[in-house]
Amino acid sequence: MQQPDPVIRLDKVHKRFGPLEVLRGVDLVVPGSSTVAIIGPSGSGKSTLVRCINYLERIQGGTISVGPVTISAQGLEKSGRKLSGRDIARYRTGIGMVSQSFNLFPHLTVMGNIIEAPTGVLGWSRTDAVEKASALLRQVNLADKADAYPATLSGGQQQRVAIVRSLIMDPKIMLFDEPTSALDPELTGEVLRVIRDLAIGGRTAIIVTHELRFAREVSSHVVFMEGGGIVEEGPPEQVLGDPRETRTRAFIAGIFN
Amino acid sequence: MSFTRLWQVFAEYHDVLLSGIRVTVVLSVLAMLLAIVVGLLACLGTLARSRLIRAPAVFYVEFCRNTPILVQLVWVHYAWPEIIGYKFDAFTSSLIALALQSSGYLAEEYRAGIESIDKGQIEAAQSLGMTYPRLMRRIVIPQALIRMLPGILNQYVICFKSTSIVSIIAVPDLMYQAGLIVSATFLPMPVYTAVALTYFVLVFIVSASVRYLSRRLPMGGYFQTQQHAAA
Repeated sequence: MQQPDPVIRLDKVHKRFGPLEVLRGVDLVVPGSSTVAIIGPSGSGKSTLVRCINYLERIQGGTISVGPVTISAQGLEKSGRKLSGRDIARYRTGIGMVSQSFNLFPHLTVMGNIIEAPTGVLGWSRTDAVEKASALLRQVNLADKADAYPATLSGGQQQRVAIVRSLIMDPKIMLFDEPTSALDPELTGEVLRVIRDLAIGGRTAIIVTHELRFAREVSSHVVFMEGGGIVEEGPPEQVLGDPRETRTRAFIAGIFN
Repeated sequence: MSFTRLWQVFAEYHDVLLSGIRVTVVLSVLAMLLAIVVGLLACLGTLARSRLIRAPAVFYVEFCRNTPILVQLVWVHYAWPEIIGYKFDAFTSSLIALALQSSGYLAEEYRAGIESIDKGQIEAAQSLGMTYPRLMRRIVIPQALIRMLPGILNQYVICFKSTSIVSIIAVPDLMYQAGLIVSATFLPMPVYTAVALTYFVLVFIVSASVRYLSRRLPMGGYFQTQQHAAA
């Protein structure tokens, strides 16, 4: 595998919730334009790890560098300068995040949800935003739902809207935190297809998932986490097909049984 | 016999009673509008990270909630002139006192509404690059307002009833007009009964509409479905 510059690099990252140590010195390198899948039992720290990257969670030790930005226990800095709340908001526009609970804004229509950030944060004109949003909605087969409120949509439809809402910002990085865990099994297929065909598309992506088959299909690198640390990582064929560690074996066997 | 006298009061003094109702309604509506704005500012103050802003805001809210309306009214009308060196007319003093009282309760109502918004909403807005003021304005407060609507209207009912106390500083509201009629006619029973019935009808109309509205909250169903889908 060729090694382009790492876009995301975690160096001995520590995260605590009170006395509970959720990340115990995690090291991880995510090369540009690659897709990393993180698997592991619940409580292993995989969601927290992803949330630290866009600074929804603070870290207590180590560093996370994302392009020119470095996150540490002291906050965010870029070329020696500490970032303010406004700079942090701008930093986040470059990172799309899709979580398991969709979190569409219930008081806005599908279109309102999608164009809120491009018009309000990036300063696009409404016309441009609506045009781009309509194109994206067509790509996820939801063109007819532009005026619907989120509550009238199925979980799978809501999640596709949430993905479009992130994509319209054209982020360089996409983070997926168990994007299909809240969905009925028959609805996961369409969402996974959108993630694979539209959302990843050449971006640097980290996907936390229990869908091992999907992880194998889309990722170039699989990480198995347990107890706040990385137990094993490597190419998908190896980690998912022929894991070296017994704990990885046990986890994968557990999912398939 | 008493019913005929009751009816005579309405027939003979409806002009006076109506002008009293007008004052009561105008006073309660203005006080409420003022309280809605001041209450929101006070609420945002109590949620501020800086203690310099939070402490006075918390004190303001607690003071408003924990002093009787009668005391606030008398305090504003008779003590403020010495404190601020300017004497408000009775109507303005009443307006301020009623707004004080309601703004304290509304601030608490707002806070509960804002805190009831799912944390995921805030995180989604942050992930899209919204700053704290923007996500409050565009995402949190609009949702909170919809949820708070019944609470705000309930507070209006309380404010409306509280207006009856302003007659003690000679604001010509419904209650004050009733007193005038009684001193002219020496008929306390039919006059005060007429006033009680008038208040009852007015307040009942408002609170019944509040109940109706609470059941058909514009986004009520959406919120439930949203939470259900996320669970």
